Amino acid sequence: MTELATRWLGLELRSPLVVGASPLTDDLDALKACVDAGAGAVVMHSLFEEQLVAEQMAAHKFIDSHINMDAEARSFFPESELFEMGSDSYLQRLELLRHSLGVPVVASLNGISTGGWTRHARELEGAGAHAIELNLYDLASDPKETAEALEQRQLAVVRSVAEQVSIPVSVKLSPFYSALPAFVAGIEAAGAHGLVLFNRFYQPDMDLDELELSREVVLSSSAELPLRLHAAAMLYGQTSLEMAVSGGVHSGDDAAKAILSGASAVQVVSALLSEGAGALSRITREMTGRLSRMGYSSVSEARGVLSMANAPNARTWERLNYARLLHGWK
Amino acid sequence: MEFHTLDGNEAVSSVAYRLSETIAIYPITPASVMGEHADDWAAMGKPNLWGQVPSVVEMQSEAGAAGAMHGALQAGSLVTTFTASQGLLLMLPNLYKIAGELSPFCMHIAARSIATHALSIFCDHSDVMSARGTGFALLASGSVQEAQDMAAIGHAVTLESRVPVMHFFDGFRTSHEISKIAALSDEDLQALVSHEGVEAHRSRRMTPDRPVVRGTSQNPDAFFQAREAINPFYQAFPETLEGVMDRFAGITGRQYRLFDYVGHPEADRVVILMGSGAECAHETVEWLMEQGEKVGVLKVRLFRPFATDRFLSALPETVKHLAVLDRTKEPGAQGEPLLLEVSGALMEAYSRGDRQVLPRVIGGRYGLSSREFTPAMICAIFDQLKAEAPKTRFTVGVRDDITHLSLDVDSELDIESPKTRRALFFGLGADGTVSSNKASIKILGEGTDLFAQGHFVYDSKKSGATTVSHLRFGPLPIRSSYLINRAQFVAIHAPQFLERFDVLEHAAEGATVLLNVPWPKEEVWDRLPLEIQRVLVERKAHLFVIDAAEVAEKAGLERRINTVMQVCFFALADILPRDEAIARIKESIRKTWGRRGPEVVRRNVEAVDSALGNLHEVPVPDKVTANRTRPPRVPEDAPDFVQKVTRLILEGQGDKLPVSAFPPDGTWPTGTSQYEKRTIALEIPIWESDLCVQCNFCAMICPHTAITSKVFEPETVKGAPEAFEVVPETHTSELEGLDYRIQVAPDDCTGCGLCVEVCPAKDRTQPKRKAINMQPIEEHREVEADNLAFFRQLPDVPRDRIPRDFKSLPLLIPLFEYSGACAGCGETPYIRLLTQLVGDRLLIANATGCSSIYGGNLPTTPYTVNADGRGPTWNNSLFEDAAELGMGMRLGLDKLVGRARQLLDQLQSQLPEGLYADLTGTCTTVDESAMASRRTAIEQLHRWLADQQGPEARELDSLADELCPKSVWVIGGDGWAYDIGYGGLDHVLASGQNVKLLVLDTEVYSNTGGQQSKATPMGAIAKFASAGKATRKKDLGLLAMSYGHVYVAQIAMQSHSNHTTKALQEAESFDGPALIIAHSPCIAHGYDLVHSPAQQKRAVDSWAWPLYRFDPRRIHEGLPPLQLDSLRQKVTMKAYMQEEARFRMLELRDPQRYEQLVAAASEAANEQRELYKQLAGIHFEPHESSGADNEKGEGHD
Repeated sequence: MTELATRWLGLELRSPLVVGASPLTDDLDALKACVDAGAGAVVMHSLFEEQLVAEQMAAHKFIDSHINMDAEARSFFPESELFEMGSDSYLQRLELLRHSLGVPVVASLNGISTGGWTRHARELEGAGAHAIELNLYDLASDPKETAEALEQRQLAVVRSVAEQVSIPVSVKLSPFYSALPAFVAGIEAAGAHGLVLFNRFYQPDMDLDELELSREVVLSSSAELPLRLHAAAMLYGQTSLEMAVSGGVHSGDDAAKAILSGASAVQVVSALLSEGAGALSRITREMTGRLSRMGYSSVSEARGVLSMANAPNARTWERLNYARLLHGWK
Repeated sequence: MEFHTLDGNEAVSSVAYRLSETIAIYPITPASVMGEHADDWAAMGKPNLWGQVPSVVEMQSEAGAAGAMHGALQAGSLVTTFTASQGLLLMLPNLYKIAGELSPFCMHIAARSIATHALSIFCDHSDVMSARGTGFALLASGSVQEAQDMAAIGHAVTLESRVPVMHFFDGFRTSHEISKIAALSDEDLQALVSHEGVEAHRSRRMTPDRPVVRGTSQNPDAFFQAREAINPFYQAFPETLEGVMDRFAGITGRQYRLFDYVGHPEADRVVILMGSGAECAHETVEWLMEQGEKVGVLKVRLFRPFATDRFLSALPETVKHLAVLDRTKEPGAQGEPLLLEVSGALMEAYSRGDRQVLPRVIGGRYGLSSREFTPAMICAIFDQLKAEAPKTRFTVGVRDDITHLSLDVDSELDIESPKTRRALFFGLGADGTVSSNKASIKILGEGTDLFAQGHFVYDSKKSGATTVSHLRFGPLPIRSSYLINRAQFVAIHAPQFLERFDVLEHAAEGATVLLNVPWPKEEVWDRLPLEIQRVLVERKAHLFVIDAAEVAEKAGLERRINTVMQVCFFALADILPRDEAIARIKESIRKTWGRRGPEVVRRNVEAVDSALGNLHEVPVPDKVTANRTRPPRVPEDAPDFVQKVTRLILEGQGDKLPVSAFPPDGTWPTGTSQYEKRTIALEIPIWESDLCVQCNFCAMICPHTAITSKVFEPETVKGAPEAFEVVPETHTSELEGLDYRIQVAPDDCTGCGLCVEVCPAKDRTQPKRKAINMQPIEEHREVEADNLAFFRQLPDVPRDRIPRDFKSLPLLIPLFEYSGACAGCGETPYIRLLTQLVGDRLLIANATGCSSIYGGNLPTTPYTVNADGRGPTWNNSLFEDAAELGMGMRLGLDKLVGRARQLLDQLQSQLPEGLYADLTGTCTTVDESAMASRRTAIEQLHRWLADQQGPEARELDSLADELCPKSVWVIGGDGWAYDIGYGGLDHVLASGQNVKLLVLDTEVYSNTGGQQSKATPMGAIAKFASAGKATRKKDLGLLAMSYGHVYVAQIAMQSHSNHTTKALQEAESFDGPALIIAHSPCIAHGYDLVHSPAQQKRAVDSWAWPLYRFDPRRIHEGLPPLQLDSLRQKVTMKAYMQEEARFRMLELRDPQRYEQLVAAASEAANEQRELYKQLAGIHFEPHESSGADNEKGEGHD
């Protein structure tokens, strides 16, 4: 039997399989079931910079602007001192999960500016988060901002968050960087401890009848995994950041591949959303079976053995692979 | 001693809360705020003087609150309440009981007018004077400081005397005035209140351990003596009160007496009055004494029991001329109450020989409905007292050109100390001006040694409202209980005020004038109208400008300019060093909005920092250069009444209108909102005819009838303005051959954007472009105003040509337009649609609430008439009795119909051939062609009657119009239907009368500021439900269905207009009572109402708001009467709840409770659905049921 216990972000995990950031955060029963099914840690859904700001400003607009405007109605809600906008409920959730789950809880922040919101990192630490996952979900849409400037801005965010806290900070990236290894080096220099590969973009679909954009969450499939495996394999050994693979892990083999390519932890979301907590026990069982059959005594023994640094046919991870594949397909 | 800067309501409730254990309340302006404070404090766990958190309970009405108070007193509790006006009237029966049982109890009244010919939320003493027979002691206070102090004295004295106390102070003037006062600490209250009194009260409690009976029924042999047995308590009361007042003085240094005299010790002329007017009299008397006059004012603190001896000893013996002023009117009385008491006391003293001189006493009325009461008026009264033959009864503050009772007043008189700085601010309701002024007063009051006062005047509009803030501050105590007459600082926070009001009317010589305008500073002078320029030049004013909207916008605050303007005020007013002022503003921002979140604070601070860089002085030339005057407030073609009366009210000059300008019985013309051009939208919807699919959704949803659609004969368009586009009607076969147009009313639109939101037509190449789009008003206003004028006069096609489906109904002429409701209001579209269906045959009984304010608040009336002059006739009686009012209308109407039929029968043999049949055949309000024929027949009858002699013919001529059927609809909100008016509503439904009830359900008391009702859904935060409502919404529809003979429907128009139109028409056609419960999105739900169609759909789809119709007629067809029009739950309860701040606030405050209540609400919806499904499948024997079909439901649109 392969020993599943492993270390990630300085945390002792009983399994590399981690519940990734998702709406499951709000469902304590489902999370408990995932932990019972063997999850090594839980990542909460993101506290969004924009969401925090938008909610505060909406409250300001829709509640405060109806105050003192009418002779009969002084306001339309009870005293605002009773309610705090901002991260309060997230923090309460965090504390609840921390007390109820018995596995490390990673809080998640999502922001793209170095504004005052990064103070929330400190609040998360104060509320007992074991680590912070900083999600740099960003869409480059400003024609005046160069790739260099965008990356510098993002590194500043990482630095700003890392400076606020003493718990480990793991940075969740999008797959679309021209020079990922160099950027990752920047992230490491900015004080982060881990990497999550990768974000999935919730791209809007189109409603052709209504001629408008529609928002539907499309769950991942195993087809999305190779991109992550490639990045992890490439970065393994180049960086001391501990990596988690996220996106496309649906089976034990998927999880095993992530570990072989260099991941310390494997995040699962879509499988849990579609199958429930049972998916986690299934993946755990399948992964353990696979790694055992392959003869690994522990997860750390298997980690990175097929990374670019270690793989027997490592060049397959590189450009040549592309040419061969194309030829072969012809 | 600690000084606090707060308003009268907060000052009073702070004392009452700390001295009470049980607080039973019900919202009513202007007293609601006291209850809200109590509720907030209880929610925060603030203890009373005995370490307990008082129970604060909202009842279903003031009558209910009074009953609960009575019970709590009998159980030995310390009780208080807060109310006013009609609320106090509803409590009266219990107040007699409470006093009759000698229960120690102190209540607090923010005195307000009682509705007579009209409702008024403003101040006079007609409410408390109506309670003077109850046996309560009536204790008056005249300022925020006094109101706080007298509240404490009231609670203390009732415990010692057993006589219950009604403490009153002037609504708005004192209740809403912010003032710096010496606050009473817990220690002060401890020292004041008699703990033996508390013990004694508790010892009298009802308990089975020592049983007694109270509330017996007594007979002629006992009642009288028993009643007289209370006399000693009333005889002792004045002395007891004096004792408490003396003790109070010992604790605080503030000495009050039953009657406080201020003035010359040997005064020959004295005025007597109570309330805030006495403060103004105090100030004026001091000024007159400086002028060498021997005058005085006697302030009455204790009105009942009237302490004659204290009164006589307080009034100087030298007084020869006395004016007694009452802030109430008792038509037909020998005099108003205070006058009678004073006259009686003097006459008795004189006849006994206790007083050598009987002063000549005159009596006057002042200040009804918060009419201004100024030093000039008091001087006029003192002048009148000097007259050889003064008016024995007079009024002051109005010009009475009918009965000539009024005194002439020198309106220019200004006696205020130059040391008192005065500032006026004109703001828009939504721009936060009042909030920041309140903050400024606190900054000045709490950060300096200055005295400060703030008073705020609001108009009655719920969208685009105007606020005027009156701020005074200075080194001397401020007694000026009236509006500012000469201001050294005038701020105009929106450019449109320059075009609407005489904003500089009260600017003092050399005043500083601050304008927020979006113009370059170089252009400002030339853009000012002549009237403004003239005052600036003549009064040598200093003009400063800022584009505050731009500063606010840049800081990410949209158009909320208040902090920017606040900085400018402090910079220009020069009261505090600039840096200190700015630091204090920032501190106040942090304090006020800190809990809203750091971003709100950050953006406001940023706005503060960038304000002064954008403030510029504009030199005022030495002469006027403009030739443009302010545009007239109403069009020149407006009717005479609108020109003569409405216009002045619109210009803020209504108080200059004489008595003769007003109808004596409250009758008012309809159809006047069309003359009030408010121009409050920044963007208005503009029609793109090429894309339009003629669905009329825009016209259907518009809350202000500001976008309407119409079909008309093509030839009627001749002579139209050039830009008046029309297209052929192509979507409805019945309307073939007609032209079609959608028209915006540019000056009446509020810019809410709902029309664009629901427009389904998109440009296939530019999907952002719809068939209507919001565009800047300045680019379209003039053109569309011309178009609108032409559009309005286009003849309507015959009503029976318009199909009665939801897409075509908006083509019928709306007879409700341009109301002052909130932008995005969810109530008004229902009313508009109702007037489109039956407006020309409609009597409306309207419960008090939002719908009576936007429906019937002066100056203008949104109910209007069609080309024949027919339209809804409307009345608002009270909050609680709308259903009964409507039923009375039906009963009265039916008697007149019966009488007309009786006369017709008498004349039948003489009538022209066929006319009798035409006048008596079947005709219902939903049969348009029958209605049209009936009207023709009635016209024929009138013509025939004109040639007939005899009393029957004359009488029939006056009643013949009643032969055309009429609809009676009762309109009100959920506060009326679920709570205060439920008994009446239930009774009217039970009666079987043909009365329809439309409940505009916003799920809170919207008009008074969002207090919970029994319609408030589980999990919602509302006032009086700060912790989130834990019980289910009352199922009003189910209760009504239980009668079996009531048509009931629950509708949601913003998302399901097809269903709504069906239900309204079925209700109208039902020969019996109908109850329509209409989901009404409201600002009190806490989201942008432009999303109300989507959010309401979530309400329906989650079963938070199921749609159904219950039609008793179906029973006779062998069908189940209930049809469920929402079947499945399509979205979760949470998906609905998480979109509204009222639920979200609970999640923020207590996530676990939120989750529990979401689950409970979901469970409640499941249970309701199961119950309704079974009801909808019910079989009635002996009919063969086809109930299985009912689950198909009817079209969801």
